[in-house]
Amino acid sequence: MSGAGDREPVFPTRQSLGAMKSKLKGAETGHSLLKRKSEALTKRFREITRRIDEAKRKMGRVMQIAAFSLAEVTYAVGGDIGYQIQESAKQARFRVRTKQENVSGVFLPQFESYTKDENNDFGLTGLGKGGQQVQRCRETYARAVETLVELASLQTAFVILDEVIKVVNRRVNAIEHVIIPRTENTISYINSELDELDREEFYRLKKVKNNKQRDNNAAEEERKNSKRRGSDKENDQEPVDVLGEQEDQDVIF
Amino acid sequence: MEGLFFNVNGGYVEGIVRGYRNTLLTGQNYGNLTQCETIDDVKLQLSPAYGDFLASLPPNPSTSSLANKTTDKLVAEFRYLQGQSTGTLLKFMEYLTYGYMIDNVALLITGTLHERDTRELLERCHPLGWFETMPVLCVATNIEELYNSVLIETPLAPYFKGSLSHQDLDELNIEIIRNTLYKNYLEDFYKFTTEHPELKGTPTAEVMAETLEFEADRRAINITLNSFGTELSKQDRKKLYPDFGRLYPEGTLMLSRADDMEGVALAVSGVHDYKQYFDTVGMNGGMSGSGPGNMSGGGGSDGKSLEDMFYQKEMEISKMAFTRQFTHAVIYAWVKLREQEIRNITWISECIAQNQKDRIGNYISVF
Repeated sequence: MSGAGDREPVFPTRQSLGAMKSKLKGAETGHSLLKRKSEALTKRFREITRRIDEAKRKMGRVMQIAAFSLAEVTYAVGGDIGYQIQESAKQARFRVRTKQENVSGVFLPQFESYTKDENNDFGLTGLGKGGQQVQRCRETYARAVETLVELASLQTAFVILDEVIKVVNRRVNAIEHVIIPRTENTISYINSELDELDREEFYRLKKVKNNKQRDNNAAEEERKNSKRRGSDKENDQEPVDVLGEQEDQDVIF
Repeated sequence: MEGLFFNVNGGYVEGIVRGYRNTLLTGQNYGNLTQCETIDDVKLQLSPAYGDFLASLPPNPSTSSLANKTTDKLVAEFRYLQGQSTGTLLKFMEYLTYGYMIDNVALLITGTLHERDTRELLERCHPLGWFETMPVLCVATNIEELYNSVLIETPLAPYFKGSLSHQDLDELNIEIIRNTLYKNYLEDFYKFTTEHPELKGTPTAEVMAETLEFEADRRAINITLNSFGTELSKQDRKKLYPDFGRLYPEGTLMLSRADDMEGVALAVSGVHDYKQYFDTVGMNGGMSGSGPGNMSGGGGSDGKSLEDMFYQKEMEISKMAFTRQFTHAVIYAWVKLREQEIRNITWISECIAQNQKDRIGNYISVF
């Protein structure tokens, strides 16, 4: 399989093999971590989806009641009081603050509503008639807005989580299907290259050894030959009369 | 004696009003209306009574446009009557419009206070409360100018004079201004109907005295109930009670001291009718846990709320006014009945539009 498929442009050395191996290990750890993160997020996501469903249904009911209480006000006051209310409201009574919630490293903004009870700007509206309905209507709408705020934080979390889950899943898939196979490929490539080198080396060594042996053998042969020749020579020449000063050439057996 | 010459000036108008009264929706009509499934059905059911005025509405109109059109009819008829009337009747009808004028002026004052373009507000004003110099109110840009040069020119000037200064306009809550004006208006109207030489001792004086006394008491009670839990002090509250009525003076004095529902109930116990209302509401209120003066269904109970009962009583008084002859009071009664009818139609169509049929029967019908 060496060389087949995608691999990283590295030189097939033992050092890069080590690097690749540690990279593979890192990728696998990262993969399992990301997988777990994605699972945690998905779990959260499902929960939020469920809660959004609930909140939306609740909103439908609450808004209906609120709209009806407005109808009650219209009936009791017998006219349009919208303008008066708009003009007499100076400060927000219903306020929203945000805080962050950390879900497996993702920061989800959460809206929290609270009312400032001291603000009662249109407390006197409908003093002559319908005042009670106006107050009641305000309470109903405050509840409706509360539901809306709840829904808003859920929806925001929904969008953000969706985005994050996509990113994480992309990463998980990238690691699983690209990085890990590629690293594995690279490793097997390096391995095969190294093996190839090994074999070459081995073959070379064998060749060298053969050559050497052959040379040796040849040398041996040579040596033997020369030795034999030498011994012949020795036989021929050996009883050199050291003293004779090789003058006795004429002695023949 | 008073019947002898009444018809010289008022006979035609009275006849017309009695005719108008006969076109008011009856219990049968309301029964049909509550059976409707869509606003279009409501429109169809209303066509005998309101035909021309509803004709221009698009299919499935909004409830507010329905209410506007029905109000248009009331206004058109009222204007016609106004055009036919002379003498004390004309004055009487002017008095009728003052109540709406107070609302309009309060609206414009609110606009001026917040430095809005008051011209936009003109179309929000109630058409019955329209007076010639009303657009002039928009000229004023600050409250002092409004008070010194513009309000003085309006028919409401006497009600401002003596009880409100231009500083008050700036500082007081617009609701207090409105209710002060309304108190002055009611007192003036009462004085007019009972003490005017041409009306004194006539059936007009009798009927109107009863009606206005009831109206005064209702306002006093409502103001008291609605002021609980607000920054309105007892002294200020006392100033808003009209100086007549069946509760005046002992009842209003007690009302001004009342701190809670029981206090109010005690204050009105001197008048049998009101005591009865409070007893009924007290029982319902105790069970449902909802406060006084709420709409009956608000707390989920079927009983009628105080406000409902007051409306009911007002309608009955208005109905009784038609048993008298030679009186201007029938016009007042007719306007009130008509207003209630518009409210009923709005309520029924609102219930239908919002699919809340369970409380559709909350309207008030006296015929």
